[in-house]
Amino acid sequence: MSKKIELLSPAGDIERLKVTLLYGADAVYIGGQKYSLRANATNFSINEIKEGCNFAHKLGKKVHLTLNIVFHNEDMSGVKEYIKEVVDAGIDAFIVSDPFIISYIKKKYPNVEVHLSTQNSTTNYKAVEFFEGEGVDRVVLARELSKDEISYIIKNTNVDIETFIHGAMCTCFSGRCALSNYVTNRDANRGGCAQVCRFAFQVKDEKDFTMATKDMNMAKYIGDLIDIGVTSMKVEGRMRSLYYLATVIGTYRNIIDDYYDETLTEEKIKIYEDRLAKVANRETSSHYFLKEADYTDQYYTGRVEVSNQDYLGQVISYDKDKQLLKFIERNYFEVGDTIEVFTPAGEHLDFILEELFDDEMNSIPVARHPDNIYYLRVDTLINIPTYSMIKIVSRRKDNE
Amino acid sequence: MKLLIETSNKNDIDLDCDGIILPLKDYSVESITYYTLDEIEVISKKTNKEIFIKINKNLMNKDIPNIKDILIKLDKIKISGIFFYDLAILQLVRELNLSINLVWNQTHMVNNYKTCDYYYSKGIKYALLGKEITLEEIQDIIRKSKINCMVEVVSKPSVAVSYRHLITNYYKDLGKTSTNKLQIKEKVSGLKFDLEEDNNGTSFFLDTITNGTSIIKDLYQANCPYIIMREYGIDNFKELVADTMKYTSNKCIDDDYINKYKKLGDSTNFFFKKTIYKVK
Repeated sequence: MSKKIELLSPAGDIERLKVTLLYGADAVYIGGQKYSLRANATNFSINEIKEGCNFAHKLGKKVHLTLNIVFHNEDMSGVKEYIKEVVDAGIDAFIVSDPFIISYIKKKYPNVEVHLSTQNSTTNYKAVEFFEGEGVDRVVLARELSKDEISYIIKNTNVDIETFIHGAMCTCFSGRCALSNYVTNRDANRGGCAQVCRFAFQVKDEKDFTMATKDMNMAKYIGDLIDIGVTSMKVEGRMRSLYYLATVIGTYRNIIDDYYDETLTEEKIKIYEDRLAKVANRETSSHYFLKEADYTDQYYTGRVEVSNQDYLGQVISYDKDKQLLKFIERNYFEVGDTIEVFTPAGEHLDFILEELFDDEMNSIPVARHPDNIYYLRVDTLINIPTYSMIKIVSRRKDNE
Repeated sequence: MKLLIETSNKNDIDLDCDGIILPLKDYSVESITYYTLDEIEVISKKTNKEIFIKINKNLMNKDIPNIKDILIKLDKIKISGIFFYDLAILQLVRELNLSINLVWNQTHMVNNYKTCDYYYSKGIKYALLGKEITLEEIQDIIRKSKINCMVEVVSKPSVAVSYRHLITNYYKDLGKTSTNKLQIKEKVSGLKFDLEEDNNGTSFFLDTITNGTSIIKDLYQANCPYIIMREYGIDNFKELVADTMKYTSNKCIDDDYINKYKKLGDSTNFFFKKTIYKVK
């Protein structure tokens, strides 16, 4: 078998970068404060890019930087200086959609990889060949392709191929949609997309028209992607929460490792899918992978999203001697609830919460204030490092 | 400055203009009327106008062998160029060593002079500029780039393409028989969009005419080589084309033309309005 597939995670800020790498991502993609298609995410300053690259490189991992806006004349001013700054900061690869920028980077910095952004919606092997000729190291394919189409492209070209495996989908071809520009004046191709495809539209004398897609979830098909020779599997969501990313990246890490170890069973896949489902705020589908996306891959009732209350808190530290876990609370929970602590190393610990304390070590029945520091008692030999997560398994009232 | 037209009515390709755009059936999107290769061949023999072919769908692997044959055939027909979206077209034209001229037509991406020049250096002769940039940006590109620019001045602009069959899916949910057209209205802005669906997916058109008649003079003065008008949704298109030909051949000095075509509406699209992308 060739080189192990890369698990590529989004990271909207330095903390997410660290957490996703700790949870098993092989590389992260980040946006700088300029030229990124998530103009309204926190994004990274040059110093944060340096810090992120140092952190990743110490772990033997990589940082890819998005430079994938569709450039206007004015955007060209200063871009060369910016490219130099981020190369000096240590990034391993650029994700680019503009071929002028691709050619510039390849000429000036031949040792830095250039990945063609999915914004180009590359759907066939001849287009991949074109970019191969331009020196592109990797092509992020369009999300509209089937397994057979991806496989055919891999067999007939010589660049690395990256595909999306999880997260939100565009309704239209990426890069080929200006609905946001027209409806909200926000430029979809310069990072301002207002996600107009998730709006409900009026139709004369009929029910509202919606075209919002379900999210992508490829947990079942990771083995197929590895077998056909995909180089990198990308998770969408630079603006997603720490808990979401920890869960999704940790779960895909497990799936990939189990597949290579030949220990991935149907039963395990069900457990992993269940974990992913618990952090999802939409239903999921594999969209075009096995068939043409159809009626079943969309919503028809307007914006259907559920907020997730499973996330209880983020671990700050664990004192084994005192059996005390210090954490920052995210959602209400109480003594008697069954909770789960999971770690970046992929360990999961379920138990009924018996003792809870406030930050002055007063015993309390309920943790009810998000962002407050609390302690809970747990006796385990498992190492529970910072950035472990706490989630609900079942509520006390349901346990009774 | 030359006027190219894309008509909805096949009879209107005979209108008096400098050139016509013919979208190729099965391989084009964002158009209303499509032409087979045989029809294109016949038209090319009958007309002295410039003929541009549009092949602007996102191509799949299975399309490549057919596209190869089509390009070889088109290379033998008298055409001025091919509007393309997918880079496979450029790759094939180079690989097959064809002499066809190409028009870079990546709808919302043709937005700066550096990238225009990049494509020019790859042998591409023309670029249809994006519709989401300002007149000032357009003038800048025309001035600074070596590529021959085209600007769509009057149309109901195409704004998005989905590979999904969105109208079919909608009617399936309703339990009703589908059509291939649907008009939808965005609730806050009040903007209406016309959706057209075929085997290649769903194309979105803004149901508001972009009226760029008032900027034709600016484009003429900037030495813009081509302007484009599309018939879809435009009443009295024949008269508009005739008047525009007269206007441009008279060096765009007749203000009556601008006054007359105020009737097309006051939407100048993004010609005088910059998009934003930072909202915080």
